[in-house]
Amino acid sequence: MITSISWKNVWRNKSRSMIVIGAVTLGTLSGVFVAGMMKGWVDQRIHSAIHTEVSHIKMQHPEYLNNEEIKYTIPNYSEIENYLNNSENVKAWTKHTKIMAMAATSRGNTGVMLKGINPDEEKRVSDLYTNIVKGGGNYFESEFKNPIVISEKTADQLRLINYQITDNLIDTLKLLKVKDHTIESLASIKDKRFITEKKFKSALEEILHKNEIRVHGPVIMQMAKHYKVKSKIVFTFSGSNGEMSYQSFRVVGVYKTANTMFDQMNAFVIADDLAKVAGFEPNKYHEINMIINEESVDIKDFSQTLAEKFSETNVMTWKELAPDAGMMADFMQVYYYIIMGVIFFALAFGIINTMLMAILERIKELGMLMAIGMNKKRVFNMIMLETVFLTLTGSVVGMILGAITIGITGRVGLNFSSVQEGFEAFGWSALVYPSIELSFFFGVTLMVIAIGILASIIPARKALKLNPVEAIRME
Amino acid sequence: MKVIEIENLNKIYKESEIEVHAVNGVTLDFEEGEFAAIVGPSGSGKTTLLNMIGGLDDPTSGEVIVGGSSMSKLKGAELTDFRLHNIGFVFQSYNLIPVLTAKENTEFVMRLQGLSAKVCETRSEELLNIVGLGERMNARPNKLSGGQQQRVAVARALASKPKFVLADEPTANLDSKSTETLLEIMEKLNREENITFIFSTHDARVVKKARRVITLEDGKILSDVTKNGGE
Repeated sequence: MITSISWKNVWRNKSRSMIVIGAVTLGTLSGVFVAGMMKGWVDQRIHSAIHTEVSHIKMQHPEYLNNEEIKYTIPNYSEIENYLNNSENVKAWTKHTKIMAMAATSRGNTGVMLKGINPDEEKRVSDLYTNIVKGGGNYFESEFKNPIVISEKTADQLRLINYQITDNLIDTLKLLKVKDHTIESLASIKDKRFITEKKFKSALEEILHKNEIRVHGPVIMQMAKHYKVKSKIVFTFSGSNGEMSYQSFRVVGVYKTANTMFDQMNAFVIADDLAKVAGFEPNKYHEINMIINEESVDIKDFSQTLAEKFSETNVMTWKELAPDAGMMADFMQVYYYIIMGVIFFALAFGIINTMLMAILERIKELGMLMAIGMNKKRVFNMIMLETVFLTLTGSVVGMILGAITIGITGRVGLNFSSVQEGFEAFGWSALVYPSIELSFFFGVTLMVIAIGILASIIPARKALKLNPVEAIRME
Repeated sequence: MKVIEIENLNKIYKESEIEVHAVNGVTLDFEEGEFAAIVGPSGSGKTTLLNMIGGLDDPTSGEVIVGGSSMSKLKGAELTDFRLHNIGFVFQSYNLIPVLTAKENTEFVMRLQGLSAKVCETRSEELLNIVGLGERMNARPNKLSGGQQQRVAVARALASKPKFVLADEPTANLDSKSTETLLEIMEKLNREENITFIFSTHDARVVKKARRVITLEDGKILSDVTKNGGE
């Protein structure tokens, strides 16, 4: 009966209740959405940290961490190989040879870490092969001698990207119903090659109006981009004998991940090719990366097992190798609740105010209830339930709307391309797919109930202080 | 059998350093089945006396004994519980719960007593039929006239099967026809079910119906007259 009265009391002054419910709905919706967006970001960062950059567990020579010299290869490799092949806890693993090298083309140069890999084995551990850019070749599928896959960033530094207005591009713009004036202006620089993005941009600025660039700029930039696949890059490095060596590799693929730092550092070649030119001995590798069967074993536990078993090797988990992502994984759950907590704390003041007004309006009735035998505990419960219902109604609607919003944006993604460069410099994707866990909604519901109870204390205390006789007489 | 025994009851208010003797040495008994009216001019102390009989106000001195137990010994939750199980209240301005229907308002006290939903439903229907609102059971207070609301209040007061019903100016807001109907219902309940009614009133119509009239003046009993067979 008290529950029913409390619920009915919520709807006594519909417009006032709707204002509070509306505020709680908006607060919950924005909190859920921000949490969903953050989670989407963090999940993407963690996924890319594990599946593109560092894997679940990495094993190296203990000294290699401090000094990336090629002599520090993994000790007892054969034993480890045998163990990993027979362990049910390992889903897939791969090994790399690594060497720091100076890359040069006729137009540019940059330093990179050459990673010698076995492409088929690598695909089971890293999803880098899915990050080959459009028009940027493929992942070691072309039949060339000494193939190499480099990042778009490296390609840019080595001036292996051209910008050119082609017939194809003009046809596409016509299909997109771009104005004739814009197309005519672009035709004036047709087939002219620009070797840097900067030069191409200034050429566009000369022939196009600001508005045209704002609207069509991104499409033109993307379509005018041509990767000089099949180009040769010459690498200079110090081989295992300590002498400087030179070797050319031919670009077969250009990749791009959400992490500019990773892209800038890493270029991939076939392990055998690298072994030949650098003079690596068989079964000598600098790192082993593995993906763990997470259902059967905890990553940290398994890394400890490996560390104990192969004490001469350094074993690190992804949380240690990508500490930013590791910290996010541990902290974000708390962070989402902090966001919600701050929102609800602010809303609580509005709820208290509304409930105080509701109590003041009902003094006579409360006096009557106490007179006819409703004890203080029941009066308190009635007001508390009313506050919880008021808050919960708004937050349930907010959570439903939040879930729908996350469902839609989670499918199409949110594009932060205007700040892309800044995001990617930290390894964060500019295209976010918000996501949320069901448990978060349970957490929020509990939080709302707690806030409702807390917010009811002041109004309920006010009601409990009433003297029934005086309250009934009040007009 | 005595339902209420009042012994030398006093209530003194302090109004800006001046002591007001609202009830002054009242000693009274009420027998089961009485239909009594406490009358007197404004400020004579009738409402204060009624509030002390109902356990809503503490006497400065003296004692109210209901069914053999002294109310002055009860405090807080015990007193609330005592009211719930022993006293029915009818207020001047009906004081029904606006979000509940007539039937739910009647059931409310029984639910507080912890009775089952089935028992509450049967008794509230029975009571609303007695007060002539069998057809309006599902109407909310704002859809009922003042007289009808006060009849629901009477049904609610009786729902807890109290030892007596206290009615503070129950007809003050009613027209003469509604007053007549209400009084007839209460009188019928009193005669047929032997329910004790004690009113505080100004209303001559109530006084006319009462079988015992206690007149107060300045907090003291001026007269206590029991009529033969009422009227």
